[in-house]
Amino acid sequence: MTIPFSLYAPRESGLHKLHPLTKLALAGFVALCALVLPRAASYLLFLLLIVPLALWGRVFGRLMSAALRVALPFAISLLIIQGLFWQTGPILARVGPISIKLDGILFAVSTIGRILAILSSFVLLSLTTRPDALMLALSQRGLPDVIAYIILTTLQIIPRFQSKAQTIIDAQRSRGLETEGGLLHRIRALLPLVVPLVLSSIVDIEERAIALEARAFSHPGTKTSLFDLSDSLPERIFRWSLLAIALIIVVVRILTLRSA
Amino acid sequence: MERTSPTARGFRGFNTLTWVMIPVAIAINIAIGQLVYALKIPLYLDSVGTVLVGALAGPWAGALTGLLANLVWGLSGLNVSYAPFAAVAAVIGLLAGLFSESGWFRKIWKVLVAGLITGLVAAAISAPISAYVFGGVTGGGQDALVGIYRGIGLGILPAAFAQGVSSDPLDKMVTYLLVWLIIRALPLRFLMRFANGELVRGDEANEGTSAGSTVTPGS
Repeated sequence: MTIPFSLYAPRESGLHKLHPLTKLALAGFVALCALVLPRAASYLLFLLLIVPLALWGRVFGRLMSAALRVALPFAISLLIIQGLFWQTGPILARVGPISIKLDGILFAVSTIGRILAILSSFVLLSLTTRPDALMLALSQRGLPDVIAYIILTTLQIIPRFQSKAQTIIDAQRSRGLETEGGLLHRIRALLPLVVPLVLSSIVDIEERAIALEARAFSHPGTKTSLFDLSDSLPERIFRWSLLAIALIIVVVRILTLRSA
Repeated sequence: MERTSPTARGFRGFNTLTWVMIPVAIAINIAIGQLVYALKIPLYLDSVGTVLVGALAGPWAGALTGLLANLVWGLSGLNVSYAPFAAVAAVIGLLAGLFSESGWFRKIWKVLVAGLITGLVAAAISAPISAYVFGGVTGGGQDALVGIYRGIGLGILPAAFAQGVSSDPLDKMVTYLLVWLIIRALPLRFLMRFANGELVRGDEANEGTSAGSTVTPGS
């Protein structure tokens, strides 16, 4: 089976060998904590959970470059916008008519932590888990097979669509379509690109539907998989404890918010 | 070896064509999103496929397409920051299905109004997510707007909402217009295999076909 288009980085590591649901539970745990705990606590989550796990999975470099690539534009916007346009609080520095507010910078820095923790938990899961293994694990726990089919098929056809889009751009350009110039020009160029892309992909939808039907796609019975996943009792216990801790954190957080 | 769960029992009314259409629609979202980016057009246009599925196969298929599309944006590593907005994408697909079932895809002015409404709803749901998760910024060119709204004294959530209201309606109107044009370019034989196939064609096309004769029943 070909590995679908994804972030997955194959490595020989203990993290990679864990059951997909264990990694999903870890990622979900970090994301949930980053959402419900105070923003600044996200840095602790990142340093104490994400970084050690990434090192264990030998994907630290990949994780940092992928997470920073997404988080950096947010970080820049946050520092500029919330730093300059925060309405209240003490002024940190003043340059001509512009003043940088302390509270705005603090908000920006703590929010960057939240973004970093949430995005990196997702990236860590994608880096260390094969999408097909994750989907198999989820469908063994009751996720409908069609959902797994959709996600895996999509990941497989994305590269084909990207090259198809490039082919259409090249073809239309060679026929004289202007893809540069004023905004109106570029918007007008959109239609001759979008319509062939959609129409050509629609053609093979029907063929694929027939091929799937011939292979009992919508048959209601149970199906078996060639792929075997290993799960262990300690991992199961670990997942249930993570869930329990997450519940406790959420409940405590709601109670303290109400009393505050 | 463990056995997998029964297939698709909870999804009556979705035929195989719908299931096959959804991955293609998600790939269309991504490909057009990147096309728009390559042409440097200041719009997203990243939900053309979602609206198309909603229009053809109904609100639930549209909602599912939107939801999974944003998860795939994340899983594929193309744009991880889309994943938190999966609920917004689901509502966009749901609305497209509801508009289609009300016959709004038949007239172009209704298509544009539907896009406008979808844009306003999308702005309203994405603002709290943007404010809570991302501190109210988008990490893109729209942040110039966020800066202006913060500068005139709006709070983080109102500024995020104002930014959405300024850019989402136009984006969704162009999206709906594209879907309307695509539907008109699709072969009638293909449209009629979807649940709402006969609801999305213009009136002139409906007069020529006997309604429902070629619709395949849900599998």
